[in-house]
Amino acid sequence: MLNINVYKRAIKGDRDAIEKICLDTWEPLYRFIYYKVQNREEAEDITQETYIRSLEYLKKRTFSPDNFLAFMKTVSLNLIRDRWRQKKRSWLLVNFQELNPKYTAQADKENEITQRLFLENALSKLSRDQRSIIDLRIIKGYSVAETAKLLRKTEGAVRTAQYRALKSLTKILDEGSKNNA
Amino acid sequence: MLKGRENDDEKNIEELLSDYIDALNNEREHEIEVAENSPELERLIETVYQVRTLREPGLPDEDYPKRLAWVVADELQKGKDKDFGKQAKARSKSIIKTILPVTAAACLLVFLLVYTLGAFKQDLVYAMEKAVAKLNSYHGLLEIRTRNAAGEEWLSHRVELWYAGDKYAIKQDDGSLTVNNGQKKWQINHEDRTVILLPLLPDPTKSTFDLRDEARQAKQYPYTVTETEMIAGRETVKLVISPPGGEEYYLWVDRETNLPIQLQTAMQKALQTTYTFISFEPNIEIPYEIFAYQVSEGYTEVEEGSGQLVATIEEAVAISGFTPLLPKQTPYRILAFQDRIVLDYGETTIVESIAAGEFKLEPNAYLGSAAGGPLEIWYERLRWRQNGLEIQIEGEKRLELAGEITEDLSIPDANQDLASHAIINVPVDMEIVEANQKQVDSGSSPWQLDPLQVALTFVNLEVTPEGIQGEPQIDMPAFELVSNNSVEAIVYVKEGPIERVYLKRLIRQDESGIWTVVGYDPR
Repeated sequence: MLNINVYKRAIKGDRDAIEKICLDTWEPLYRFIYYKVQNREEAEDITQETYIRSLEYLKKRTFSPDNFLAFMKTVSLNLIRDRWRQKKRSWLLVNFQELNPKYTAQADKENEITQRLFLENALSKLSRDQRSIIDLRIIKGYSVAETAKLLRKTEGAVRTAQYRALKSLTKILDEGSKNNA
Repeated sequence: MLKGRENDDEKNIEELLSDYIDALNNEREHEIEVAENSPELERLIETVYQVRTLREPGLPDEDYPKRLAWVVADELQKGKDKDFGKQAKARSKSIIKTILPVTAAACLLVFLLVYTLGAFKQDLVYAMEKAVAKLNSYHGLLEIRTRNAAGEEWLSHRVELWYAGDKYAIKQDDGSLTVNNGQKKWQINHEDRTVILLPLLPDPTKSTFDLRDEARQAKQYPYTVTETEMIAGRETVKLVISPPGGEEYYLWVDRETNLPIQLQTAMQKALQTTYTFISFEPNIEIPYEIFAYQVSEGYTEVEEGSGQLVATIEEAVAISGFTPLLPKQTPYRILAFQDRIVLDYGETTIVESIAAGEFKLEPNAYLGSAAGGPLEIWYERLRWRQNGLEIQIEGEKRLELAGEITEDLSIPDANQDLASHAIINVPVDMEIVEANQKQVDSGSSPWQLDPLQVALTFVNLEVTPEGIQGEPQIDMPAFELVSNNSVEAIVYVKEGPIERVYLKRLIRQDESGIWTVVGYDPR
């Protein structure tokens, strides 16, 4: 972990100190943001804005360097929320508004693993065909045409199967959430 | 009835969902609008987002952390001097996103740098990127000079440029002025005292000066930063650009404004051209009169088929006499001519006309397929025929819009291995190929850029090894390009001892790369 003096120097605008902080923390922060926005350019943008906002904020307040990353994650969540409001991705806001950003940011690792297990468990309940289509289209990122070729289906059949698979998965996830609540 | 409607809705959701997944996969989801009254779709997209968390994130390039640190430090420094809130808007511009304003030679230089950030020293990169992002308008005087191999240099010409948003004006040496104000395009000629109205779209003048194609090619070329130099009274940093297998050329960046102010080509055919902004005022208010259309007293307005801006497709149909095929997206503007309809989507333009005569492909175009026929892919342009119409789409959104007009759009895969299917391999001497590429770069033997011409030469030299005397024995009509994925191509020969010729771009895999025969199938 970086010494508190590095942060103090960074707040004053010391380039070396800022570089040290960025090199030390950018990747976990970026990954955290990427998982939320699923877009490289947007993730890079928000990461940049997060550092600026966080360091500006810390000019006026005291803090402990051991939770700087968690603090930045909270800042980034607020930025994401603002952006999505602007972009009217209202359906994606629901989850954010239900969450306590501060808690989410600090407990994100644990949360991430739980979320992953929860999701993998839900996927395992789908049929083999449905899992394949979700894997190819969403996780591996193949186009409809490529997926159709790989699964020997028509493109129309891929779209229908993908819709049904996601519908089933959504239902399983919703039921799982209710049970966990 | 109700059931039928439900089925339609379901179909629609399936397609919208699929489009959204595609957009997410291509990181272009911001371009997709989801209807607010579709809770089912919203929920499914939420699930898609959740599933995507199982993917490994798309990480930035390796320079990103340093670039990030630099931008953060710079913004914090600014925050000291200026009101933080006022800066927020400018700061929200991504460090990887650049505004590429309009065109002209200025933008050539800008593009070259924007696309080649990785090779700069870090501080120069960021400063340049910032300067580019802030370039919304400018006024400049561009001087074009030519030098011969004997070292003699002369002024070829000068142009004065004004740019602001989508408007521009270009004044030539002879005083003639070409203006596009986004609503109209015209040229004022003082010699014959005319004001010629020109078609607003597509606008070839825009690309006359910016040489964006070169810039695009250059983005993958290696660069080095060399010394500082005084250019047009300004201190600049010189950059050497080295295209693989080609000659080096140079770019100079103003140290104070961080904008590029000079470009020098390689010496080609004993001539070298230098483009220099002898004055350049970025981000200034351009006087309103520059872009205002007016016919001065004593001048005659000349109509040269400038087309007519119309509000609806129906009006366009009434003028042109045919119904165009339309993408789902609504165009910003529609321009109707007697023989064609132009749909304007900002950076992308669609031109549709009645198909007439044979569909001739650009010899060096890549080949795909659309609407059951050939699709020509030529730089940023797609062209094909469908339902008796010829459709041409040029610009950034060409694939997206083409996909909305025709469902069976197929783009060639550059990774597809075509050449290995040749029955007989032709050995290649890379030294000769490199020399040929340099020769073509300097403007000689451009036929080597055309796979049909290269195949014709090869086949005829096989038939008459002593050399082609007069007309070739097997002439061009016998040669047909059957595949071209931009890296490899196959030419079918209708007669003679060779049935197929396999070619590759061995030096550069873009439009400037020469084709070399690597194999053939005997008949």
